[in-house]
Amino acid sequence: MEEHYKHLYEALSQVDGYIYPNEIDLHWGLMIVLYPYITGLVAGAFILASLERVFNVKVLKPTYGLALLTALAFLLVATLPLVSHLQHPLRAYEIFMTPNPTSAMAIFGFVYLWYLMVVLLLEIWFDYRLDFVLWSKKSKGFKKYFYRIITLGIHDTDAKSAKLDDRLGYFITVLGIPSAFLLHGYVGFIFGSIKANPWWSTVLMPVIFLFSAMVSGIALVMVIYMVVSWVRKVEIDMPCLDTIAKYLFYILIIDFALESLDQIHRIYEAEESFDIIKVLVSGKLNITLFIMQVLLGTVIPLLIIGIFQVYKPDEKIRKAAYFFVGIIVLIGIFFMRWNVVIGGQLFSKSLSGFTSFKAVYSGMEGYLMAAVWLILPLLILTFLLWLMPPWKKLTTHE
Amino acid sequence: MGTERKINNRRKFFQTSAALVGGTLLYSLIKPFEALSQSKEEATKIAKEDLPLWGMGVDLERCVGCGKCAEACKIENNVPKEPFYFRTWVEQYTVKKDGEVKIESPNGGIGGLKQSVPDEDIFKSFMVPKLCNHCTKAPCVQACPVGATFISPDGVVLVDDTYCIGCSYCIQACPYGARFMNPVTKVADKCTFCYHRITKGLLPACVEACPTDARIFGDLRNKESDLVKFLQENPTQVLKPHLNTHSRVFYNGLSSEVK
Amino acid sequence: MPKLIFRLLLTFFVFVGVFILIQRSVTPDSFGKYGHYRANSLDDNRMKPFYYKGEAKCTECHQDVFDQKASDLHDAVRCESCHTPKIPGSIDCKVKPPIVKGTIQFCAQCHAINAGRLEKGVPQLDFKEHYEKQNCIECHNPHAPWELKEK
Repeated sequence: MEEHYKHLYEALSQVDGYIYPNEIDLHWGLMIVLYPYITGLVAGAFILASLERVFNVKVLKPTYGLALLTALAFLLVATLPLVSHLQHPLRAYEIFMTPNPTSAMAIFGFVYLWYLMVVLLLEIWFDYRLDFVLWSKKSKGFKKYFYRIITLGIHDTDAKSAKLDDRLGYFITVLGIPSAFLLHGYVGFIFGSIKANPWWSTVLMPVIFLFSAMVSGIALVMVIYMVVSWVRKVEIDMPCLDTIAKYLFYILIIDFALESLDQIHRIYEAEESFDIIKVLVSGKLNITLFIMQVLLGTVIPLLIIGIFQVYKPDEKIRKAAYFFVGIIVLIGIFFMRWNVVIGGQLFSKSLSGFTSFKAVYSGMEGYLMAAVWLILPLLILTFLLWLMPPWKKLTTHE
Repeated sequence: MGTERKINNRRKFFQTSAALVGGTLLYSLIKPFEALSQSKEEATKIAKEDLPLWGMGVDLERCVGCGKCAEACKIENNVPKEPFYFRTWVEQYTVKKDGEVKIESPNGGIGGLKQSVPDEDIFKSFMVPKLCNHCTKAPCVQACPVGATFISPDGVVLVDDTYCIGCSYCIQACPYGARFMNPVTKVADKCTFCYHRITKGLLPACVEACPTDARIFGDLRNKESDLVKFLQENPTQVLKPHLNTHSRVFYNGLSSEVK
Repeated sequence: MPKLIFRLLLTFFVFVGVFILIQRSVTPDSFGKYGHYRANSLDDNRMKPFYYKGEAKCTECHQDVFDQKASDLHDAVRCESCHTPKIPGSIDCKVKPPIVKGTIQFCAQCHAINAGRLEKGVPQLDFKEHYEKQNCIECHNPHAPWELKEK
């Protein structure tokens, strides 16, 4: 408690201009930065998987299973930062028990549940069901039990059942695209619907969140695909990697255009809140916005992949460049979330001053906890890849 | 004899606990279906017209910025005394001759506001008490994911301390900065118009403590109330009207600098 | 219907059913009675202890002070504006009378010069000039400020 007050007194001495007295503390910290970030990775990875399946980009086949498992691993963790930031985490179940129909956050719980239970799990299940049956005959120990249970007692291996799996899986994927859009568009809506906050309140927010989600998800799968290939000591499928990068390039352009549109609109309309936002952007956010988000996360990747579209250097250089691009895009999108969540709370709703944000290392809102929530999905992914490796699949969809 | 009694006791204990556990289980199984058996008619709906509709008027022409209201509020509602948590506070606006607006509210105005701008630079200066606006279309109530904050039948925005999950979404949604996270209870906290007082016929603590009667509390439905008279006799304005929150705290003498 | 679809639908409906059952039993009894909230929370909010007792309560014992106050300039100032309560209203207020020292600092809360207070009928004093004793109440009777005490 004393510690809590201490950092508030410190913040009080750094207040710039006038803020409402209750605004000294940033109520949403690092955890709420992570929550849209992780959810975005899920939506993006899923969209990449459906590019292959629904939009028939067959060259992406090597990443299909990987993208789905990545989406699942991150989705399982997506709500944990949200729960860990609650002051009463044990009451979190109330969101499902008595959801307030007018609350964006309450409905998100159901969007999440729908996406996890109906879309992602089902799609993966249809994709793997036949393999589970076949694997269960060959494996031993834990794996055997797991495969047995997960088949739900359906042991058909004939061509007819395989075709049914395929058709249902396709149906779910088609259903999954709007669901993935909904999932992350909805996260944007959680911020975009707060009319009290001019930095958040824009109709473009869900769309911007959606496209930045796709960017980050695609970059993540690209990086994971390269890492997994290196670990497995197999050759990276270069056409596949080139195609992923191409889609990353296109979507990054759309994302950049949308965000610029949003800012240009703000600048041109110059509403009441513009004065303070101008100071925010050029002051407190200048490094995270211009350097991290725009330069590192958008312009440099666009340049690198853009050059590759007209001039293709040696494979080795391309691989290194793609890896680098993937990492900086992931960093850039993280700072995009940061700029939205933290940036939106740095200025007072009185539009007359700023408070400051100081992240801590320990505690539920600290860097260490954030690292846990970022590493945990990777561990889950490793486990999933061990349990149901996509490259060991005996069957594949059409 | 002793052992027998012990066994008997033990048997009785097991019987009782089994009955208790069984009963609880049975009840929890039946409970979800209770709603089916009871007719909806039974759910008491309060006729809203019979209830008061609470509101507050703030007369800026009378406020001297002594901070007694903010102090009284902290005493009355057990608000932490640190200068970061306020259910109500007083701001001093000073418009300088060069047009610059300086806003101050050290410690929410508790202990009396002190003018920090030299007199010769001042164009005008005034005090503005702030509190929860008890919006008819409250953004915080709209945003609360679990229904832990709500508008009571008599028009007061309240928080359910035992139900709030502490997500801070309502704090983000409030355009007036009237909500805070209580560091002791760890739930969202805000002005309740002293709901525990007004339902007993007392005035809110801030109104009780105000030495200049700058705060007028009353029932908006009662045409004889002081508040309705205040609204009739003065041109009043609400804060941030463009946000369409339909607030029930009305200001007389509100200057355009106030945000 | 293929076995697979049947199994999945069954799993789905079992899941939804269990969810609804849990929801029904976990939701507080009074939830939704008046709106999307726990109606008993109204009572919880009502039951909180109060501190400020109101002028009528003070006057029960201190009618004389009240009359004196009513006859002078502090008539609109209610007792607890200065005598901030220290104990909840449920406890007999005679236990601990809230004493006010009446220092310059205390009276300055309302009476110090401030451009935001002009023309509001509250006398403004420059305490550097208007300064004879440490405490205002050494000259002024706080209940009747113009009743100056003899020096």
